Amino acid sequence: MSRWHNLLGRWGHPVASLRYRVGLSALNRFVSLFLVGAVLSISVAACSGGNTSSTNASSPGASPASAKQDVELTLVAYAVPKAAHDAIIPKFQEKWKAEKGQNVTFKQSYGGSGSQTRAIIDGLEADVVHLAIGADVNKLVKAGFVKDNWTKRVPNNGIVGETVAAIITREGNPKNIKTFEDLTKPGVKWVTADPKTSGGARWNYFALWNYAKKQGADDGKALEFVTNAYKNVVVLTKDARESTDAFAKQGQGDALVNYENEVILAKQKGEKLDYTIPEVNISIDTPTTIIDKNVDKHGTREVAQAFVEYLFTPEAQREFAKVGFRPLGELGKEKEFIEKFPPVKTLGRIDEFGGWTEAQKVFDDGGKFDEIRAQIAKS
Amino acid sequence: MTDVSSSFLPASNTPPKSATGQEQKWVPIVLIGIALAFLALILYIPAINVFYQAFHKGFGPFLHNLGEPNFQHAARMTLGLAAIAVPLNTIFGLCTAWALARKRFRGRTLLLSIIDLPFAISPVVAGLMIVLLYGRNGWFGPFLQERGIQIVFAFPAMMLATAFVSMPFVAREVIPVLEEEGTDQEEAAYTLGANPWQTFWRVTVPNIRWGLLYGILLTNARAMGEFGAVSVVSGNIAGKTQSLPLFVEEAYKSYDTEAAYSAAVLLALLAVVTLVLKEILERRTGGHLKKTH
Amino acid sequence: MATDASFSIHKAMPTTEALSRSTSNSPWKSFWNSILHMPWTWRIMFAYLAFMLFLPVAAMLTKSLTIGPAEFWRIATSPLALSTYDVTFTTSLVAALIDGVFGVLIAWILVRYTFPLKKLVDASIDLPFALPTAVAGLTLATVYSENGWIGSLLAPFGIKIAFTRLGVGIAMMFISLPFVVRTVQPVLMQIEKETEEAAWSLGASSWQTFWRVLLPPLFPAILTGVALGFSRAVGEFGSTVIISSNTPFKDLIAPILIFQRLEQYDYAGATVIGMVLLIISLLMLLVINFIQVWGKRYD
Repeated sequence: MSRWHNLLGRWGHPVASLRYRVGLSALNRFVSLFLVGAVLSISVAACSGGNTSSTNASSPGASPASAKQDVELTLVAYAVPKAAHDAIIPKFQEKWKAEKGQNVTFKQSYGGSGSQTRAIIDGLEADVVHLAIGADVNKLVKAGFVKDNWTKRVPNNGIVGETVAAIITREGNPKNIKTFEDLTKPGVKWVTADPKTSGGARWNYFALWNYAKKQGADDGKALEFVTNAYKNVVVLTKDARESTDAFAKQGQGDALVNYENEVILAKQKGEKLDYTIPEVNISIDTPTTIIDKNVDKHGTREVAQAFVEYLFTPEAQREFAKVGFRPLGELGKEKEFIEKFPPVKTLGRIDEFGGWTEAQKVFDDGGKFDEIRAQIAKS
Repeated sequence: MTDVSSSFLPASNTPPKSATGQEQKWVPIVLIGIALAFLALILYIPAINVFYQAFHKGFGPFLHNLGEPNFQHAARMTLGLAAIAVPLNTIFGLCTAWALARKRFRGRTLLLSIIDLPFAISPVVAGLMIVLLYGRNGWFGPFLQERGIQIVFAFPAMMLATAFVSMPFVAREVIPVLEEEGTDQEEAAYTLGANPWQTFWRVTVPNIRWGLLYGILLTNARAMGEFGAVSVVSGNIAGKTQSLPLFVEEAYKSYDTEAAYSAAVLLALLAVVTLVLKEILERRTGGHLKKTH
Repeated sequence: MATDASFSIHKAMPTTEALSRSTSNSPWKSFWNSILHMPWTWRIMFAYLAFMLFLPVAAMLTKSLTIGPAEFWRIATSPLALSTYDVTFTTSLVAALIDGVFGVLIAWILVRYTFPLKKLVDASIDLPFALPTAVAGLTLATVYSENGWIGSLLAPFGIKIAFTRLGVGIAMMFISLPFVVRTVQPVLMQIEKETEEAAWSLGASSWQTFWRVLLPPLFPAILTGVALGFSRAVGEFGSTVIISSNTPFKDLIAPILIFQRLEQYDYAGATVIGMVLLIISLLMLLVINFIQVWGKRYD
């Protein structure tokens, strides 16, 4: 303290000023106000923490006695199926309560598929995941979080949500864009998310690739086709959601390629969109699995596995279908859904291109997509 | 340090041209006009669009969205983050400003530039750095895991990220004011027998209070609004580790556009409530100060 | 890098303690002593900086070096990366300078004049910080797109703002505006009274008062504001990525390269770009801060 005194003393010669006496009361008030504010907000935050945990525990109607065996599941998913899970979770909770007499509370996290995967690897304690592409689950397998038999222990190879690519056009489709080939035509401008950052956009890439392949193109020709298509892209957004806005709200391009289910959801939420489902298309398969490492740690394997299996039941699939996913199995044959989901004549699958282990390489550093970007930069 | 008033006077030694009364009248109007036009283009029209999106279906949906439990939890989370990050950064900022403002030494410019760095680091990278330190595979990951301490994907990491991105504000706001102010009054206080602590609270802080206040305002606004860094370290679990900006993002992603914009509007309002504080300060101290001049 | 800097500062610290102990034999000992006898404000500053800034940056640096210098260089200087540096840094600089001019003007009218709704205008300056960046990007993209409120007025003249580099610049101006205003404002408040009145009493016009009397002492604050605004614009991602069309070699910004690598779980690659941005920003901040010091030499 006196050090400061010395230091300051060395600088100065006395100058008369009396301002400091007035400053005292004002400043004290300011500081005390500030402190009071800070303390208040901290206490509010602290109390709220307590409140939420207690309400969460009691909200599913738990009696204090059964509270002990309550179980908590953390569901980590990509952004789009939120609406479906919001509807499915209460049903599962009811069912589990009836069967096992146990309350399940859910903690949910939604975000970009890649970011969510990364978070789990870095320590986000998810019990169940629902991701946009198989490549992301493969990363979890590689990091030792999920056993490599994950496709075998649930129905449908773990693919819980199926959809296809949709081409969204301006009202009345003035440029008559119906197939993926139309996107390569000169003068057509279209919007997609960037495959480098968006899982959905990687599916779009393979929708184009699949189209070229189904027309009999070899790898070279297919690459040329895809390159030509990407040459016409006006905006490469960060994710699928932003591409919808760039097209619909900000008027970019003549067409937008996005998930069919996302278009249906957007329409339900009041966006005005005209779309066609190309007849040569790719099956967009979104996988789910339990995270073995975490469920064993939390002791939630049984209920987590039950939830994952429940997602494949007609009950749950109906909820998925309501928000735009193509229902699995027999459910798809119901009249309502046949009308809602126009049939696709030639449906490609990612397995035809080596599955996601191979397919992901396209987007890695120096992969095919980098070649395409270099090509576009040159022209 | 330079004495302010003496450095100005020589500037007006040049023979002053006659100031005309007419000039005084239109200059402010033109200046205000230009400033407001610029603000309108960059700030107001885009901001009005946010309000329009939030309210174009009336107040009903807006109020309904405010009632959502997840929303309320996110709001409390954001307040909690700001409540810790702001005082921390204020203390750091004051110490730094005090240490740096009146000393000249080798490396001072470098140190000042380093203090600015958190702004230049992309928020995503800021989050990444925290993960690299405290994440499962991070430097301290094994240590923390052994002891069952959860830092990333929990409140502590979110707090670190928030404090990181809003770190330099107070220091950077106070340093210029402190430099401008000079040491005269403090010296006077010492001569009158005040100890350093008294001098600091009674002389320095009142003098730098505008800089300090703006620093706190900015810290608070930035702390509440931060998305990028927090999103990397939060895990975004609704009702648990979701702050308001993350809530906005999630609502937007699931096409709940109104909910997203309502939350954004509330966030904007929350962040500027500190201006109420400024108003109080102005009312209470402004009058006193003017008299002393 | 960071530790070097702090080391040189410890040594250079002109406190009485450091000076008195400079006679002791080993330089390490004198360094240690200067830490032990540092004023407490310095201790808090360095402790906080070490924990909040140096440690994380060190983690980032070591991560980026794990891939080896050759790979580091390849990622840092790929043609795409170089073009994104160009887009990011020039656009940020221009945006910060424009903000510098208008920010001073705004601070000036807020401090000097009274006009209707002034308090509201004052309050609104912080909005760009408070709005989540994604919302900012979204609303800017909407308003400045061809069918938006402002964009539609400019479209007939063939000016396209959203989804071009111009749009990126607008977003950067938006997010860094508060820096300049809020740095200049307190200084302006501090100095207005005595000096301006003195100048006026000598008969200077308000323009002269501003240019000759107010600007010189304001200059450091303005530069600080511009420096901060610039660095914020360089790092900004959330809003710029939405208003940019993200076309490589055209308006793709550098932070998105980081994000792309993160998405591939390539932390090392991401930190490489992060380090490059950090070093360039640090250099530019140094230049700006040096100009500031240099400018003050003539006070």
